[in-house]
Amino acid sequence: MAKERSHRATKVLERLEQKVNRQIATSLMACVHCGNCSESCHYVLANPDDPTYQPSYKADQLRKLFKRHIDWTGRVIPWWVKAKSVYTDEELEALKDVVFGKCTNCRRCSINCPMGVDHATFNRMARGLLVAVGIMPEGVSVVSKDQWEIGNQMGVLKEDYLDTLEWMEEELQDELGTTEVRIPVDKEDADVVYSINPREVKYDPRTIAEAAKIFYMAGENWTMPSEGWDMTNFGLFSGDDDLGGAVARRLFEKVDDLRGKKLVISECGHGYRSTRCEGPNWGKRDVPFVMESSVDTMLRYIKEGKIKVDKTKNTEPVTFHDSCNNARSCGLYEAPRELLGHVVTDFTEMYPNRAENYCCTGGGGAMSMSEYTPERLKSAKVKADQLKATGARVVVTSCHNCVDGLTDLIRHYKLDMKVTQLVNLVANALVVDELPAAVPADEAAAEALALPLAGKTVLVVDDEPDIRVFFASVLEDNGATVLEAADGDEAIELVRREKPDLVTLDLNMPGRDGGQVFEAIRKDEELAATRICIVTGRPELRRLIYDRPVPPPEGYLDKPVDEETLLRNARKILELT
Amino acid sequence: MSEALHYASHTLQEVALVFMAVVYTLRLFWIFRRFPVGKERQAPSGTRGSVMPRASILHSWFNVAQPWAMESSRRNLFLYIQFVIFHLGVVAAIALSFVIPYGPGLLESAALVKTIQVLCFSAFLVAVIRIFRRLGSAHMRAISTPDDHFSLLLLTVWFLFAGLAAPNNYAGGETVLMIYFWMTAFFLVYVPFSKISHYLYYPFTRFYLGKTLGRRGVFPIVRG
Repeated sequence: MAKERSHRATKVLERLEQKVNRQIATSLMACVHCGNCSESCHYVLANPDDPTYQPSYKADQLRKLFKRHIDWTGRVIPWWVKAKSVYTDEELEALKDVVFGKCTNCRRCSINCPMGVDHATFNRMARGLLVAVGIMPEGVSVVSKDQWEIGNQMGVLKEDYLDTLEWMEEELQDELGTTEVRIPVDKEDADVVYSINPREVKYDPRTIAEAAKIFYMAGENWTMPSEGWDMTNFGLFSGDDDLGGAVARRLFEKVDDLRGKKLVISECGHGYRSTRCEGPNWGKRDVPFVMESSVDTMLRYIKEGKIKVDKTKNTEPVTFHDSCNNARSCGLYEAPRELLGHVVTDFTEMYPNRAENYCCTGGGGAMSMSEYTPERLKSAKVKADQLKATGARVVVTSCHNCVDGLTDLIRHYKLDMKVTQLVNLVANALVVDELPAAVPADEAAAEALALPLAGKTVLVVDDEPDIRVFFASVLEDNGATVLEAADGDEAIELVRREKPDLVTLDLNMPGRDGGQVFEAIRKDEELAATRICIVTGRPELRRLIYDRPVPPPEGYLDKPVDEETLLRNARKILELT
Repeated sequence: MSEALHYASHTLQEVALVFMAVVYTLRLFWIFRRFPVGKERQAPSGTRGSVMPRASILHSWFNVAQPWAMESSRRNLFLYIQFVIFHLGVVAAIALSFVIPYGPGLLESAALVKTIQVLCFSAFLVAVIRIFRRLGSAHMRAISTPDDHFSLLLLTVWFLFAGLAAPNNYAGGETVLMIYFWMTAFFLVYVPFSKISHYLYYPFTRFYLGKTLGRRGVFPIVRG
């Protein structure tokens, strides 16, 4: 009797038949299982005893389906070539753990395969097959939904985006002492249309202000679009070409509407690749305007004398991390180095580098898949060793994803480093002829004391680096001293050692979860009085707290949390007026 | 030469060759018909400057002869040397299957016989090493199929008999030559359905990788 196949498995196989193009088909046929790709993968290097991390092993999980249903030998004598079909949703879930959880699509194995098998390309295709039937990590589902429905991958509302631009414009005007500096929105016929990563709006708005400062100093005729401003594209990570095409078209059409001459893409590896390289193919349209990375733009301004920079303003020892999407998939690796040469005094190369660099381990959407965080951080040992060997104090990268990935591994491996981007360094090195007088030190101290959370210490506990960065920036901007922990054990250790005034505690974390941390703190006589605010994206998990035989927490917050809500709750819990 | 050996070295080889050619032709026809190619709309990129597609594709095709081009070869030179010897052995053993029936006079050159033998026996040794590597390493076992094992074993034995058959001394006994030619014929029939046909796909895979990464200024890879 024929084995029954689930609806999803049937759909996956149908879609496989449609999606395989010539490059992928020959890649699937060509592998000789020589094993040469293995040592190029950071997952293999960090898990030397586990053969299931090998690129060719992972690729075989899709290859066996291709051989069983499309190729010749596998259809006749499947066992001879390990061809195998898929029948159940459980098997698809297992495939999901391989293609999402054991590979960041960094493409390092592809360039190290003697046969030219592009593993990363068909790993992405395998992701797309699963996503099409609704099998994907929860984070991928949430982000994709936001990008489909709201228009950007972090669900930033239009009013919040415009408010942030206005806020940054005011900050910049204060800094430069002139109202002439603007962040123009929807200006038609601009020479440059500037697109950004929603992470900049949500967690790192200073990069928008810094870019605006550079455009202003260069005398650029530029604008930002009110819609279609997100240059990131989760279609690259999810393997969903339909999403990839829709996002790319949204961006291109906005530039068309504004009659922009050039689309400048802020520093983001996957955004650059999705927009500049893959977007026209996914969107199935030719793009009439020029597209370039902001790295190229900033470098050109310096070379053309449009901006002046003073490298002595950035004197800390610096190294550079090449984003996989920028360097290995788009060839963007010399411009960042040339730019660094203009804006820092002490640069050390990281080895290997450029197209051969190792992944930050946060690529391929890995930062949004918290269920695979332990594996990701284990594999990050390779990157941590690479960073440590440079002896640098600052690692520069041109990718928001890498910023988060590197920040996370630096904390995990306790490296004494910080992460920054080129726009931060260029803005800092800018020579501005007339700056408003510096605020006197005692006045600055008085200003700091006037901030609502001044003098308070807050511990932010969350396994999502994005959330930690956001909370930390909001709380620090309001005067708090912020400590961060990425897991439960680290949180308890910090509570014991630092006695924070407030702990914001994520519930859903790998290892010891927020509920266990909460109970441990409450049961410890010395720590029991610590004020705790539970933060969760899944309100149903609150029962984990109510069920515990200890006094309840002082506050709750549901994700997503905006700046105002966070601040209001923090003040309320800390009883600050 | 007996009639049986003449048959094995001529008719059998020709039939097997025609069979292989037909299967490969069908296979290529299937690849071109069954699998479409998307249109490339991306403008060239890369701050070092995009490489002309033709140059990049050539670079990609000849990657096999540039051990410095890939980290996986640079770091494993011993494996690369094995690869070279193994494939030179394949060339020698295939060439021998044409020389014996169609140009046996060439084998009067002791130097040529010695060269073929050195290549085939060296390839045999490498193949033995490869068998140990494939069976001895948990990583290699995890990715190996019965076809991988069988193909390697078959080649190993074939190298041995090619080396022994090189002097073409049928007067001294035909067993070695018979085994060599029957194995060669089996190969010709089996290869299109096995991993050994990877050379048919190599031009495709490296073409697309070279074209894409050349257009994006990644190929040839620059090291700092």
